[in-house]
Amino acid sequence: MTAPILQIKGVTKRYGGLTANSDITFDVAPREILSVIGPNGAGKSTLFKQIAGFVTPTTGEVLFKGNRISGMPPHKVARLGVVRTFQETTIFKSMTVRENVIVAHHLRSKASLLGFFFGSGQARSDEEDFARSADDIIDFLGLQAIRNEMASNLPQGHLRALGMAIGLATHPDVILLDEPFAGMNHDETMRMVGLVRRLRDERGLTVLLVEHDMPAVMKISDRIVCINFGEKIAEGTPAEIQANPRVIEAYLGSEDAAIGM
Amino acid sequence: MTQSRLLGVGAFLLGVFVLVPAFIHLTGRWDFYYTLTSVALLSVSAAGVWLTFYIGRINIGQGAYALLGGYVSAILMTQGGVNFWLTLPLAGLFCAAVSVLIGVPILRLRGVYFAMVTLVLTEVARLTALALPITNGAKGITSIPLPGELSIFGLTLIPDFATLENPKLAFYLMAAALMVLTYLVLWRIVNSRLGHLCRSLQQNEELSASIGVNTAMLRVLAYAISSFFGGLAGAIFVAISQSIYPSSFVVSDSVNFMLYCFLGGLGYVFGPMLGTLLLYFGWDLLSVAREYQLLIYSGTMIALMLILPNGVLSLFDRKGGSK
Amino acid sequence: MEQILANGLYLGAQYALIALGLTLIFSLMNVLNFAHGQMYVFGGFVTYTVVAQFGLPFIVGLLASAVTLAVMGALIERFLFRPVIRKSKRDESTMLLAAGIAFFLDAVILLLFGEKQRGVPKIVNGVFNWDMRLIMPYDRILIAALAVALIVSFILFMQYSRTGRAMRALAQDRMAAQLMGVDVDRYSMIGFAIGAMLAGLVGGLLVTITGVNLGMGGPTSVKAFLMIMIGGAGVISGAIAGGFILGMMESVGLTVLAAYGDITYLVIFITLMIFLAIRPQGLMGKPWG
Repeated sequence: MTAPILQIKGVTKRYGGLTANSDITFDVAPREILSVIGPNGAGKSTLFKQIAGFVTPTTGEVLFKGNRISGMPPHKVARLGVVRTFQETTIFKSMTVRENVIVAHHLRSKASLLGFFFGSGQARSDEEDFARSADDIIDFLGLQAIRNEMASNLPQGHLRALGMAIGLATHPDVILLDEPFAGMNHDETMRMVGLVRRLRDERGLTVLLVEHDMPAVMKISDRIVCINFGEKIAEGTPAEIQANPRVIEAYLGSEDAAIGM
Repeated sequence: MTQSRLLGVGAFLLGVFVLVPAFIHLTGRWDFYYTLTSVALLSVSAAGVWLTFYIGRINIGQGAYALLGGYVSAILMTQGGVNFWLTLPLAGLFCAAVSVLIGVPILRLRGVYFAMVTLVLTEVARLTALALPITNGAKGITSIPLPGELSIFGLTLIPDFATLENPKLAFYLMAAALMVLTYLVLWRIVNSRLGHLCRSLQQNEELSASIGVNTAMLRVLAYAISSFFGGLAGAIFVAISQSIYPSSFVVSDSVNFMLYCFLGGLGYVFGPMLGTLLLYFGWDLLSVAREYQLLIYSGTMIALMLILPNGVLSLFDRKGGSK
Repeated sequence: MEQILANGLYLGAQYALIALGLTLIFSLMNVLNFAHGQMYVFGGFVTYTVVAQFGLPFIVGLLASAVTLAVMGALIERFLFRPVIRKSKRDESTMLLAAGIAFFLDAVILLLFGEKQRGVPKIVNGVFNWDMRLIMPYDRILIAALAVALIVSFILFMQYSRTGRAMRALAQDRMAAQLMGVDVDRYSMIGFAIGAMLAGLVGGLLVTITGVNLGMGGPTSVKAFLMIMIGGAGVISGAIAGGFILGMMESVGLTVLAAYGDITYLVIFITLMIFLAIRPQGLMGKPWG
């Protein structure tokens, strides 16, 4: 295995007496698709928030390319190249699809805010770059037809793609996808699976995802980490995970659908 | 800039700087100068409130900064002998600096929480002015000189107001010029990348942070600009009335600034200007209704709210908005 | 010391009652009722009119205040807030409406009752005196007791009545309540009516002691906002705690800080702003309400 791009080291979060997750450790290799699974309330979302800087771990740390990123505010984490998309389809509602993606290019702007205010040459060339890159991303995700639609008018499937486009616009190295398949039918899921693969294959991204949809997870992941009651109970390839008795127990013992494969 | 927009701006400037004075000279309604000067200054203050709305914060504390700016200017003039024209930017900057100190902790609050704290802030400003020795308590500061001469290298740019035969006109022109400048700045902010970022903040702070926007800094920046406008307006008000008291700007003023923004429309840069004109001028005209003035005024406001809950400017929305 | 505590409790009981109404409206509809102070003043004037003008007993005046304000609250919710909430793009629009209503009520009070300070004669005479350590007029004790009784009945009502339970469900999760079959419109209206009624009742109680005047509305609203922020907006226990804390702070402040001039409120406000900067959700609120 090459040097890991992301290292989760003993990450723990306690809220008062409640422990959201505890001592979670695993590495993510560059250009890997790694899924974090586990029953509801297992602490998966907290883990994502810890990685993206929305929640500071009580103990433990998160390293990106060997540098500690846990404890940094989200905008700094994003600046370094780790971006999170949200479980709820989060987009800027009162902007068009294209505006959404353009705004999300903020990180790449070289001009200062004053430069933007006075319309400096740098600012103008930035804006042109952003527009070009935004169109590029829109094409990549197949959103051409709706580029000038108001985001608030989009159906669920497109919203999710737009959320991904916003994430891509920051040109990250690592993208965290929070339940990308939730609420999708089989066809939509398969299309999304293809898309996530292309993120890695064509854009060279490392993809970390939290997901419930087991068939999709099994299909897409290089490796899987399973969390239950805030603790890591298994880690391995899809085949290893499917055969792991602790994983099966965790799923049978919960209200979630059995691990359908 | 399209031709029609250029034309619109030209017509607006012509109206403000030529037609209004001409109308007043013809009709002899000199009192309109005071009213319209107030409208211009209040709309400068309201522009600041609007900007905080633009980042998704309800600001009911602008009165505090208007009061602060007024006192800074008054104290510098009466006790430091500083020229009014120098106190003007100093008042604005002082307010901006104070707003950064206050804003860093309170801008983390959202929704009604932020609104309520800012409301209390106005009251804190009044009580502080009452308690401090330098502000002279309830007696306030009076006999403040009129704005002096502004000259650069011996070249007089603006004459001493005391030597003018019509200081009312001078104040009007000054306030109007400031208003035009303020809205130019505001328009520029909103239509630059800074404005897009503010909008992203208004719509979704978490997402904004995750695409790399330093949300905390942007909020403070917008709030500081807002307070700067508040301070400027306050300082000029003091110059006009030549006095300032702790009750010169109170809670109801802060609430009014917010109302001007709402009424004009929160989605439109020129909303606060129109809102201020309608509400303040309307209030003034309604004085003929005597004891029914407040009833008619508030009744109309409620009615407008029912008919146009997204502001008067939303009337023009079908044509694509006037952003 | 005993005197300060007693004064604090006396103030706190009234404050808590005002804050309860405000927090109820806030929790049900996410509306910050700027007109709350005006409703309180209105209630005071109704009691004044009934008692001082018509010469009827105090209790009738108090009931009249309660009924008048409840009806007013219901009408305001039904014909003003409901349509605006439905049509507006932004939640904040309700604030404009509430501020407009505050101005409107001020205008109505001015026209109906005039600008003068009004009060009614004492309802009971005499002063309770415990060894000069604690002196309190009987009417204040009575008013405080009535306020506490009203707070207790409000809590019992919210806990055990069907309506109260429905409103609590609504406050917790509007969506879920709707799914459970709670008639959201109906209970929003009832909640607004009760909130307004509480404001009116406090006005009616206080007109016997401090009297009311037109200018009291705004400052009362500001104080009420403070109280619900201290405790956590939208939380019943928080409103009660906030009311008593503010009452106590005022009582202590007015005694301790008297030597330094009129700075009690300045100190209280600044303390609270610092407190809120550190703990935005107040004592008992959930983060971000």
